[in-house]
Amino acid sequence: MLELRNVCKKFDNKIVLDNMNLEIRNGEIVSMLGPSGSGKSTLLNIILGLIPMDSGQLLFEGQDISRVSMKDRGFNIVFQDYALFPNLNAYGNIAYGLKNQTRGFSKAELEELIDFLELRPHLSKRIDQLSGGQKQRVALARTLATKPKILLLDEPLSALDGVIKETIKTRIKAIAARYNLTTIIVTHDPEEALTMSNRVLIIDQGHISQYGTPAQVIHTPANPFVEQFILKQLEIKRDNIYHLFQKCHA
Amino acid sequence: MRKNSRVTQLLLLGILLFFGSFLIVPLLVLSAGSWQSGWQTGLAQYGAVLSDKNIMLAIRNSLKISAAAALLTTGLAFGLAYTVHCTNIPGKLKKAIHLGIILPMLLPTITYGFAIIYSFGKQGLLTKLFGYELLSIYGFNGLLTGYVIYTLPPAFLLINNAFSYVDKKFIIVSQLMGDSFWRSFVNTVLRPLLGTIGSAFVLAFILCFTDFGIPASLGGTYNVIATELYQVMLGTIPDFQTGSVIALLMLVPAVFAVLFLNHLEKFNFHYEGFRSTALPVNKLRDRVCGILSLALVGVVAAVFAVMFVAPAVKNYPYDMSFTLQFIEKALASRMLLEVYENSLLVALASAAAGTILSYSAAVVNVRTGFSKQTKASLDLLAMIANTVPGMVLGLAYLLSFNGSSLKGTFTLIICCNIIHFFTTPYLMAKNSLAKLNPAWETTGELMGDTWAQTMVRVIIPNSLATIVEMFSYYFINAMVTISAIIFLVTAKTAVVTSKIKELQHFASFNEIFVLSILILMTNVAVKLLSDFWYQKLATR
Repeated sequence: MLELRNVCKKFDNKIVLDNMNLEIRNGEIVSMLGPSGSGKSTLLNIILGLIPMDSGQLLFEGQDISRVSMKDRGFNIVFQDYALFPNLNAYGNIAYGLKNQTRGFSKAELEELIDFLELRPHLSKRIDQLSGGQKQRVALARTLATKPKILLLDEPLSALDGVIKETIKTRIKAIAARYNLTTIIVTHDPEEALTMSNRVLIIDQGHISQYGTPAQVIHTPANPFVEQFILKQLEIKRDNIYHLFQKCHA
Repeated sequence: MRKNSRVTQLLLLGILLFFGSFLIVPLLVLSAGSWQSGWQTGLAQYGAVLSDKNIMLAIRNSLKISAAAALLTTGLAFGLAYTVHCTNIPGKLKKAIHLGIILPMLLPTITYGFAIIYSFGKQGLLTKLFGYELLSIYGFNGLLTGYVIYTLPPAFLLINNAFSYVDKKFIIVSQLMGDSFWRSFVNTVLRPLLGTIGSAFVLAFILCFTDFGIPASLGGTYNVIATELYQVMLGTIPDFQTGSVIALLMLVPAVFAVLFLNHLEKFNFHYEGFRSTALPVNKLRDRVCGILSLALVGVVAAVFAVMFVAPAVKNYPYDMSFTLQFIEKALASRMLLEVYENSLLVALASAAAGTILSYSAAVVNVRTGFSKQTKASLDLLAMIANTVPGMVLGLAYLLSFNGSSLKGTFTLIICCNIIHFFTTPYLMAKNSLAKLNPAWETTGELMGDTWAQTMVRVIIPNSLATIVEMFSYYFINAMVTISAIIFLVTAKTAVVTSKIKELQHFASFNEIFVLSILILMTNVAVKLLSDFWYQKLATR
């Protein structure tokens, strides 16, 4: 279990995270949802160990990891732009970390992962020859091959469109289930958050607005922010679609 | 921001130590040199220099000729860049203009002077062709011609590069709005480039003001500050204190130029991302610009043509029958081949070590978590290195390392080159490294890499094209420089450019041209190779 206790962070005297308390259970998919500048990316970077918190505690499996370096925490991330190395082909990227990892995937596990993510036909391709969805899967494979204790995904669907988005959503859920992997996703899209996650953390100006299951968020919004900002977006989207389909059928 | 690794800290320390030893300390020693006889005597020395008629005349001459050359160069460079970017002449002609105009960059400036003498002099190739002397080459006219040819390539490259970031769509919009040609030209071409045009002027001015090669061959009785410094330092009675004062005076316009360049930054336009646009048809514009630009390239080519002609005829210009005897003799001369080998050694070592230093400094600046102040200090060192003229740096080394084991060694010449040409490759690397994905180091670390491993496995392979470009820049400049090394070479460490200076006294022009051709061929080969690798790596 990952626990955040009274986590605070300021940038240039501006409070970005204010006394944040949170528990994420093993194997859960948790989405962090909020508008730009709400603090969700900062929180993700603190969990990853990329930036330090000003005060508070971060515990993993009961151990205080607040001062443990990013490298030693054993978590891993897929960046929004994937950060794939263009001097290596798809396979070179996927196998990149194996040289350094003692606890990483074995050769057989890696082959299985490649098949699971349907990457075999693309292994020898250069990065610029891959589509957005393929890049996303290569980045996922590269990260999973290091056997992370927690998988962090920074806006994983923002660069994708249409059907690919839905496929990747399904794939992320399948990965979390297959490897019993705690997965934390940062997104600003309520639909993504509520359809992918076991629980959703809604952040507004460095505070937790609500933390609950998608059903709880939809049926019992904790405050006007959740109602207005989060649910309203979904309602508009739903109404637009209904309207469009009604017009088509008329 | 992440903690910096031991490796990055050591890297920074190494860079700072190198700059401390080979830039800051020599400059301090030079400055102290001008005060070596005490405060009052030092002041008196400054007073004496400033009231010395010859020195003051040389400074005035330098200012006058540099301003005239810079003005002319900027106008011509703008015209050439305009032809390349704003006309519909065939692409191949544009390429020819581009290549033709930058070719002189591959030659030492001292060769320019001799080429001009052999072209425009009484018995010059162009004089023979036209039947009369086009200009009197010694003094103002010759210097002006030499300086323009010398500064045209960098000024053109600067304006040409800025032109590629000007959105030509606005030319069409302006014309559709009913603007006259001039109004359209001023608003859509001249105004967006004003900052760059100013920068090109300042750059050309400083290059002229601090160059030694051209006045060394063409100055005649028209004394400029660079020749005055040379006379004072390496004349019959070397005067180190006066030399230091003159060197520091040479720094003054360079410092102002850098400040002015920073000021000009605010005139630069930044367009939103744009796509290339077809230009409006205007045949008159295309013909006028095309003919004038090609004529200019032709004149430059004609000036240097003599370099190939003179050593290949029996007795230039009296007996023009073809012979290879001079070339064969020069190539058979062990002494000339030795200086060529020395030049190659210096250029290769300067390029290798310079590329490593400037790339490392750029890495520390762009890809580490050091404080803003630390990064700014690296930029400041780069700015100082850029400001100090080659002759001043060379003199500072001469004074600083006189008693040390480095005196008269290749190492010192190489260190001088590394510092003198540091800024451009450093900026190239900074620019390229800043464009790489900022998350690669984090990703590498999460994959178990150390910082150094990620550098070797990811960052360096992805900036190889720039590294090749940096290497080529260092190599070519180290091959052609004379200002920076003239005070540092000895009989043992003589390089081609210093040998040319020496051969001038014996009027051995055939050897001078053969050596110049060797430099040109070597630089052309390096440039072609580096361009080939750059294209290959950049489009990988």
